[in-house]
Amino acid sequence: MIFQKFLAPIALAVGLGAAAAVSAQTLTMGVRGGPESMDPHFSALGPHAEAAKHVFDTLVWSGDGLQIEPGLAESWTPIDEDTWEFKLRQGVKFHDGSDFDAEDVKFSIERIPVVTGPTTTTIYVRRVASVDIIDTHTIHINTDGQAATLPNDFIRLFIVSSEAAADYSTPETAAEGFNSGKATIGTGPYKFVSWQPKGDLVLARNDDYWRGEGAWETVIRKEIPNDSSRLAALKAGQVDVINYVSSVDYLALERDSAIDAVKGDSVYIMNLQLDQREDTPLVRAIDGSDLDDNPFRDLKVRQAIDHAIDRQTMVDIVLEGLGKPANQMMPPGFFGSSEDIPMPTYDPAKAKELLADAGYADGFEVDLYCTADRLPGDGAICQGLGQMLTQVGIKTNVNAISKTVYFPAQARLEYSMFMNGWGTLTGEASYTLGGLAHSNNPDVKLGAFNRIEYKNDEVDQLLQAGATMMDPDERRATYEEAMEKVVADKAYISLVQLQTVWGAKAGMLEFTPRFDEDTLAFFIKPAS
Amino acid sequence: MLGFVIQRFLQAVLVMAAMSVIVFCGVYAIGNPIDIVIPPEATQEIREQTIRRLGLDRPLYEQYFIFIGNLLQGDLGRSFVYNIPVLELIGGRLPATLELVLISVISATVLGVSLGIYAGYRPDSWVSKTIMAVSVLGFSVPSFWVGLILILFFAVNLGWLPAGGRGETVEIWGIGWSFPTFDGLSHIVLPAINLALFKLAMMIRLARAGTREVMLTDTVKFARAAGISEGTILWRHLLKLISIPIITVFGLELGSTLAFAVVTETIFSWPGVGKLIIDSIAVLDRPVMVAYLILVAFLFVTINFVIDLVFALIDPRVRHGAAA
Repeated sequence: MIFQKFLAPIALAVGLGAAAAVSAQTLTMGVRGGPESMDPHFSALGPHAEAAKHVFDTLVWSGDGLQIEPGLAESWTPIDEDTWEFKLRQGVKFHDGSDFDAEDVKFSIERIPVVTGPTTTTIYVRRVASVDIIDTHTIHINTDGQAATLPNDFIRLFIVSSEAAADYSTPETAAEGFNSGKATIGTGPYKFVSWQPKGDLVLARNDDYWRGEGAWETVIRKEIPNDSSRLAALKAGQVDVINYVSSVDYLALERDSAIDAVKGDSVYIMNLQLDQREDTPLVRAIDGSDLDDNPFRDLKVRQAIDHAIDRQTMVDIVLEGLGKPANQMMPPGFFGSSEDIPMPTYDPAKAKELLADAGYADGFEVDLYCTADRLPGDGAICQGLGQMLTQVGIKTNVNAISKTVYFPAQARLEYSMFMNGWGTLTGEASYTLGGLAHSNNPDVKLGAFNRIEYKNDEVDQLLQAGATMMDPDERRATYEEAMEKVVADKAYISLVQLQTVWGAKAGMLEFTPRFDEDTLAFFIKPAS
Repeated sequence: MLGFVIQRFLQAVLVMAAMSVIVFCGVYAIGNPIDIVIPPEATQEIREQTIRRLGLDRPLYEQYFIFIGNLLQGDLGRSFVYNIPVLELIGGRLPATLELVLISVISATVLGVSLGIYAGYRPDSWVSKTIMAVSVLGFSVPSFWVGLILILFFAVNLGWLPAGGRGETVEIWGIGWSFPTFDGLSHIVLPAINLALFKLAMMIRLARAGTREVMLTDTVKFARAAGISEGTILWRHLLKLISIPIITVFGLELGSTLAFAVVTETIFSWPGVGKLIIDSIAVLDRPVMVAYLILVAFLFVTINFVIDLVFALIDPRVRHGAAA
């Protein structure tokens, strides 16, 4: 008793974070990355959208498992080949008290191409040709051709107030208006208070929120990019919850009774990609001489690589258990993931046999490139891959490098064998297969991220057909078939699905991890 | 004197021009920033549009001359990543770095010179030996490790000080400073110690070496013979004589710490400019990188200039040499 009486005021006087910062009404989140601007239309980056979701609502909401749900739009239906009708939610108010209506939706859609930054948000409205206002709460979206996945595109279409943002919708004025809060008027669960680039985002509860009132009066979103510092801030009591606990720290946290570790599946899957061009730059015979053909064009070689990889060891040893073996380019259960694809078996003897069959009994040499600083464990997986492939005779030189160097070089098609993560953020296959598995063809706007010149005519046809199918069941079957064909070709070899970990003070918070890894204050509740 | 100033100014312009060319070409060689920031849903058409919008489709020399043209009009450009003017971005973070660096460099110098003079004056006492042993530690232990240990010990285990971030700020001349508040100071303590440790060690060694040398000179012998007290000898004569190398190092350290306190700022999540430049490099935000490095070049040239002036003030030999 005496102890408490004396110590409590001392603790406060010393400015001890633990006692001062945490009251039941304030939630302080320590997050790895942050918004680049308070203008929700400026960037399509994950952390940017995550921050924007506190202040603004989207037309279509994506739930914890990335299933699409009503957001500011209550329902949507295709009314003809190239028109979608969206019915808007009635009675929603902006933070300044004005009503939300069709004008705001049209304004937001038309504003995007003007104010977007380099991580371009035009991807959300790329299919939109024009917007017609039918009445105050009904809009028609005319698309360029059939756009079956339009509602999926709209999960990050943030709606700003057409009145408040009217003067702040040019590239020069947008940042000023939104960063100062003058135009930062949304319909979301929290009102904007202040923000510093790379610093704190301070938010106050919106008491009239249409989903109901949030649990926290004040939310502070602190950017702490360094993994160790973020964890230290949690342990010191400066923040209540952090995202992206590293796999090394996760093992230690399991034994720490003061911290709860919450593990969630991630949308990111690590894919090994094998160049399909006739001439590929970074492959040679063991003695250093040139090979006659690109070995990766031979299916047997690709199958051999698949059999040479021990996915379970990758998960258990390399990722410290924070992952799952993957057999296709999307997590199970996503729209277009096939349940008929078997998990590849680890069989180095078979791999050697296949290599010999293909005429590479002595193996060959290849330079493998991977990102080392983008996703948890990417560099370590790269090392593991190098060892496993070398064991079956493919002498692999591992280059785990910064994403700053990796992605531009990958875009210039300078690599023969490379690995990076891909996250299916929309939860459906047109996003992933359309970008990676279709041959690179600007005319049909598909295959922009196919950096191995992979081309399978059947897959191309299926993907083009799928993009215009309005019937969801038919579309799902089409994408599943395309996925099966892509996986069978083994030009893309999926290795592991990552998992992410949140840390929170023990027994203080309740929340469900989201597939897209967002940390959203509205869905975090105090433990009862 | 005027000729000296003009010469220095021209030198500065040359250094900054060279810097801008090197950074421009360097970033260009790494690759197109678009490929790092473009979202996966983007079609080929959207990618082309974005490249055009940022002017990255023009030849390198054209991009460079547009940049120089704007620079001459006082416009350093806008950040690709934040879409706000670069000067505003850097200016908004400068106070945080400034207060952290000034506190750590000044306290390291005052403490380091005092300890160093003592160690040089009484080289055989056990206190001096302890001081020198500690200074070896300050040199040899990597600062990121010290930072993490400081956090672990004072923030996590003892809970006395916050683990990172900047504290409450008050507005002075329209700029937010955190050192006048108690909360702000408690946030500064750990990163300042982390930053100061290496400089403290260096100052101790410099001051000790200088003191040992000067104590053997005729100046000190005559002063003692003239019956001047030891305190006066140390304060009036010794300090002046050893100060030239110390001021040089102080200036250079101040400059390099202001520009590159990256490690400490990262570990302690300190919202300063060092952190900004590292983040900008990671996404190839060229306007910020170029502008920042030009400002750093300017900073160093200015600091060196000020140091030369200070030399002239405290050392008559330099003053007369310059006049002749």
